[in-house]
Amino acid sequence: MNKQQEAISRQKIFDAIKQASPTAPANIDAIQKEALELLSLNEDARPAALHDDPSIALEMRVEKGLVIGTSCERIATLADLPNAVKTFFAKHKLPKVAKVQETEQLQSLDWNGIGINADIIEDDTVGVCLAEYGIAETGSFVVSSSKDMPILLNFLPLYLVVAAPKSKVLAFMDDYALIANDIAKQGTTPRNICIISGASGTTDIEGVLVQGAHGPEFLHLVIVDDL
Amino acid sequence: MQANKPQNFYKNVSEALAQPNLKAIIRRTTDKADAKRAEAVSNFPGFENARTQGQKIKDHVIKHMDHYLAEFEKNAKAQGAIVHWASTGEEATKIVMDICKQHEAKKITRSKSMLGEEIGLSHALDHSDMERIETDLAEHIIQLAGDPPSHIVWPAMHRSREDVVKLFRSNHKSPTQSEEIIDLVRSARRDLRTKFLTSDIGISGSNFLLADSGSSCTVTNEGNAELTITPPKVHIVTAGIEKLVPSMAHAVPLLRLLTRSATGAEITQYITFHNGAKREGDADGPEVSHIVLVDNGRTKMLADGMEEMLRCIRCGACMNHCVVYKHIGGHAYGSVYPGPMGSVLTPHIEGLEVANKQTHACTLNGRCEEVCPVNIPLPKLLRALRAKSWSKKYEPITNRFVVSAYAMLASRPKLFQLSSSMGVVMMKLFSRKGWIQSMPFTSGWTSNRDLIAPESKTFMQQYKKQRKSSNTAEKQQ
Repeated sequence: MNKQQEAISRQKIFDAIKQASPTAPANIDAIQKEALELLSLNEDARPAALHDDPSIALEMRVEKGLVIGTSCERIATLADLPNAVKTFFAKHKLPKVAKVQETEQLQSLDWNGIGINADIIEDDTVGVCLAEYGIAETGSFVVSSSKDMPILLNFLPLYLVVAAPKSKVLAFMDDYALIANDIAKQGTTPRNICIISGASGTTDIEGVLVQGAHGPEFLHLVIVDDL
Repeated sequence: MQANKPQNFYKNVSEALAQPNLKAIIRRTTDKADAKRAEAVSNFPGFENARTQGQKIKDHVIKHMDHYLAEFEKNAKAQGAIVHWASTGEEATKIVMDICKQHEAKKITRSKSMLGEEIGLSHALDHSDMERIETDLAEHIIQLAGDPPSHIVWPAMHRSREDVVKLFRSNHKSPTQSEEIIDLVRSARRDLRTKFLTSDIGISGSNFLLADSGSSCTVTNEGNAELTITPPKVHIVTAGIEKLVPSMAHAVPLLRLLTRSATGAEITQYITFHNGAKREGDADGPEVSHIVLVDNGRTKMLADGMEEMLRCIRCGACMNHCVVYKHIGGHAYGSVYPGPMGSVLTPHIEGLEVANKQTHACTLNGRCEEVCPVNIPLPKLLRALRAKSWSKKYEPITNRFVVSAYAMLASRPKLFQLSSSMGVVMMKLFSRKGWIQSMPFTSGWTSNRDLIAPESKTFMQQYKKQRKSSNTAEKQQ
């Protein structure tokens, strides 16, 4: 297909749409107003919050076992993260090797006794990264691609520890989506935005749930009170 | 397994019904999905409101599709994506194959996409010198088996654990000797890991296209979409034009509905928005991003008054709850989309002339509409397609004769009552202990199950008798 043929196909599609809806097209302002009104229905159309404090609601969701393969803990400051990672190593009987996200905030922590630049392709490596947001409704964390956030860090390891600032734990998915909508308006949407809600899983063989299909089998969420 | 053809529907159905374990295998997954969906809905009191909101969002986009398509194109291009347009499946496949050839690709990884199946991309890749690697576990299983998908969410539901053991042992580099499901999943993880990292091009579908940012959205439980898309230099998205939503905030209500309706989960593990090519300095991601927007019958649905079908978010709930699907499975439909949604979609993709029989494979019990997360009136759409098939004279001559004969009788009450009485007498002659095992002209029914014997009198005979006796009783009082 050359560009000319594709342009013909494009035109065919637009013509077919126009022909199917022969009324005069609404103006852009009217369409945008209508689209905005649809979001006003959100409040009656989303699940109830487990707690008024989104960070507590997120912890509750994980503790109730509603987030697959996920555990959760709370730490006072980011300086406590290496200890949380050490406890995670011990729990899963893992060698003390991790791939820590190459961001100043994490790399500058005292990782004494832990190798922090391991190869993330190995299954027993623990990935450690910092989330931008948490979402209580779904027990999720949000990361986006950048120079110091390789997307694969969240998918290749079998074990993943993610720290999320308490102040950035949002109550609902809509809350994050509205932030993303604003970013889109500025034209600065990153290449990837990942909303991750638990460990990788599959039910493709006889409907039986198995964790760690392709991504992490175990996920540990760490809520940082003061980041 | 050779893919069935939609025009051979009755033959496909007979073959499916003759498979001794198929029904049990299908029900193992669909019954579990039904129960989990019901639980998810009961835990979400706002579900009905969410359905209404989801329907309104989809209807809004359908109403302004040209606006949102143009908006999406503009924003995707601004983020560095190359946008292509395909009015047919053949065009879409050609565009993708041309891109693959242009990049001299040898290995192609794919995450599950029903649109990819719809446009025949798997077939085209298999007939090229490129290696196609399916990365969703179910798609991986059916690729090894050479099967077409049998369900849009669980494409390998027709394969048992024993089948998977055999397939993995003969195809994986270091297969497990265990027959435990967890070990089978590990085996696939090991086998696919290197393939993810050495692929030249990653191809995905898209659950949603965000008009305001030009992003495509993948939804998976396994995380295979991100592993398919991120390592290769080139990412190709194929997406139907109906996947548009105005923004991420509009995708969220649909995501709530999608996961609950598909698997009964409150949310799926991985929701990722892909936006153009890798930015300068990004730690990873594809350097080139192509998006192929595909019509392939969708604008025809708009023109034919079937626009409600364009609301479909591909959750599979309609087939999980369909009594016909549960008996015959997905392959019998002979198309990528089985079940109620498939019986409406396929005639628009492959033509009503070849896929009209599927529109009759429905009891019109309405369960599909009841569970549809975006309120698609599937029974109404199926009835409309039946009517169209009739008016186009696509029905077999025997069906046309029987229906015409019935219409003639039904409009002549005396004749209808007489023939009903004769029918009851005839059927009684063939019944044994309340059931009919075989009878002339009923083999379509009795070859797979017994027919219940009629009451000794017709409805009208019983009605008249009862009325007479109650009149007598009234007079005596």
